[in-house]
Amino acid sequence: MVKTKNMIQSIAWKNVWRNRKRSLIVITAVMLGTTAGVFTSGLMKGWVDQRIDEAIFTEVSHIKLYHPDFLNNEEIGKTIPKEKSVTGFLDKHPGIKAYSKHIKLMVMASTSRGNTALMLNGIDVEKEKQVSRLYTQLLPGEGTYFEKDGSFPIVISDKTAEQLRIKSYQLDVIVLDSLKRAGFPESVIVKLMALDKIRFNTKNQIEKKVTKLLTRKEISRYGGRIVKVSEHYRLRSKIVFTFTDKSGELVNQTFRVCGVFKTTNTMFDQMNAFVLQKDLAQVAGLLPDEFHEITMLLNDGYKPEQVRKDIRKAFPDISALTWKELVPDAGLMSEYMTLYYYIIMGFILFALAFGIVNTMLMAILERTKEIGMLMAIGMNKNRVFNMIMLETIFLTMVGAVAGMGMGWLVIEITGHTGLNFSGVAEGLEAIGWSAVVYPSITASFFFGVTLMVVATGILSSIAPARKALSLNPVDALRSDN
Amino acid sequence: MNVIEIKDLVKIYDNTAVQVTAVDHVDLTIEKGEFTAIVGPSGSGKTTLLNMIGGLDQPTSGTIHVDDVDITKLKSKQLIDFRLNNIGFVFQSYNLIPVLTAGENVSFILEMQGAPKVEIESRTKEILTEVGLGDRINSRPNQLSGGQQQRVAVARAMASKPKFIIADEPTANLDSKATAKLLDMMEELNRKEHITFLFSTHDQRVMNKAHRILVLEDGRIVKDERMGADAAKE
Repeated sequence: MVKTKNMIQSIAWKNVWRNRKRSLIVITAVMLGTTAGVFTSGLMKGWVDQRIDEAIFTEVSHIKLYHPDFLNNEEIGKTIPKEKSVTGFLDKHPGIKAYSKHIKLMVMASTSRGNTALMLNGIDVEKEKQVSRLYTQLLPGEGTYFEKDGSFPIVISDKTAEQLRIKSYQLDVIVLDSLKRAGFPESVIVKLMALDKIRFNTKNQIEKKVTKLLTRKEISRYGGRIVKVSEHYRLRSKIVFTFTDKSGELVNQTFRVCGVFKTTNTMFDQMNAFVLQKDLAQVAGLLPDEFHEITMLLNDGYKPEQVRKDIRKAFPDISALTWKELVPDAGLMSEYMTLYYYIIMGFILFALAFGIVNTMLMAILERTKEIGMLMAIGMNKNRVFNMIMLETIFLTMVGAVAGMGMGWLVIEITGHTGLNFSGVAEGLEAIGWSAVVYPSITASFFFGVTLMVVATGILSSIAPARKALSLNPVDALRSDN
Repeated sequence: MNVIEIKDLVKIYDNTAVQVTAVDHVDLTIEKGEFTAIVGPSGSGKTTLLNMIGGLDQPTSGTIHVDDVDITKLKSKQLIDFRLNNIGFVFQSYNLIPVLTAGENVSFILEMQGAPKVEIESRTKEILTEVGLGDRINSRPNQLSGGQQQRVAVARAMASKPKFIIADEPTANLDSKATAKLLDMMEELNRKEHITFLFSTHDQRVMNKAHRILVLEDGRIVKDERMGADAAKE
């Protein structure tokens, strides 16, 4: 019986190539569809992975601990109870790689040009570096991560700098020189020289001026880059923070900007600023063991839910939240994204199935006489069904394997180079998505797609196989095909 | 020894307003090793009779025994297996599988029967050599002439050592040279291997080679004539 199976496989495979042109059209359609599906899934996975990665390693870490009421009412007095016991427990837990304690104060930040509400995070720099890579996201040339001595330093985001008008736009001689070196045409440089020594407080202002000076073609070609290089941050600027200290007194404290960061999440950026823990504790009147938040990273192999369970068991009066609860959008995506990839592939394969069914029905119609002969000489219905099913699966698989290969190749290439969606960067970053995506895919996804393709082949073969099985050998042998 | 025994066989087509009796109370016995031609004008019921003998069509009434098995009583699945193991078919338009080689077309039926690999290989070579195509075992049907394709079809029909071979107008698409060669070959196989051949034909050349001629008119056998040595035996 095994041999017959081999022969039927052989016939099915050869039948695929019988009408080469028609098969190649279907195979190409399946290949392109699969490539599109794999690439779209890879792109989405890249985005989601980056979002989750950013959420964990920059924004919220794996688990955060709070006073049970702190998140409802971010009052200065809601510090973590039994801080010493908690940190002692964290030091001993094998799943915890590193943790960092934060003081968190909701403040009003003001400069002479603007003001905004902010969450001030008082951190221990060295410990913070072990749980957050925010220190790697400082804008190049725009200060340091608390590396220089100075009184009351603060690291703010690019967005906060914009809101407090610490960021300005200026096309001075140095900037124009850099544009010249970058290959900008002399005519453009000459026009821009009219803006030398003018400082613009907003992006809108400089864009309006540049638009007036340059032609439409020059703007579309150079406009974005001109505005980008004109960005300038006033480091060492003073920001005055107003807040209520532990005793309930209103306090004003000046901090000086020592660095500017930018993550891929605008919402995070515009809400958070970082200062030294000792400075904030001092001005807020907090004791050395008073903290509002403990943030931690876990060792590989430990699940946040499991470690959280251990913490809750030991400290039932502490609120412990995992990253999935703290960043619910990323949490939801991590749960359901795999399903989403398969839904995309499912839709594509469903659409392709119509083409495959049509092709196979045509093939059956063309081979009516031959199928009648096979039935006449003793090929039973199971074998006829298997032959047609295998032929459909082969037809689908050839295209799908080629499509998966092509999709993988595109993902490999773009996974290294990245895909830049800078045109819509503001919109993407507003919801925490990176504008530069590095698509990625897992082997298990390919395995899943392979199963789906086989299922598509089997389902697509049902109608043609039923058509073949409905043939009467005597009538089929009399037909012209 | 009777290979086929037909009693009071009737086939009525009743799918239109008009009833057509294609086979009308036929009684017939075919012995092992016969080389029989069924002749008659178009619409006389030759093909219908052969289809029923071959288990491809069910009679309205009557019985067909192949050896001791009444094939009219077999269910569809049993009939397929019965055809596979007991009957060889040769069709007017060869009906080879175009994607398979001559050898594969022959061995395919043996594989369906579940024959061992060694037997499949040796039998395929042997039978293709017997039909004079030992050197074309790897040729595809489109690389063979019509006569050669029909010889492959005969080889396929014979490969499984069936009880009899039904050939429905096997020479209709062949020129006279190919026809002569095919008939000589089939006669030789009949003589050497005692395979029972049952033809339907309009072709005088086939009739000339037949050892027995059954003349069918309006579904009835109107003449049953044995020729040559067979006539002498009678």
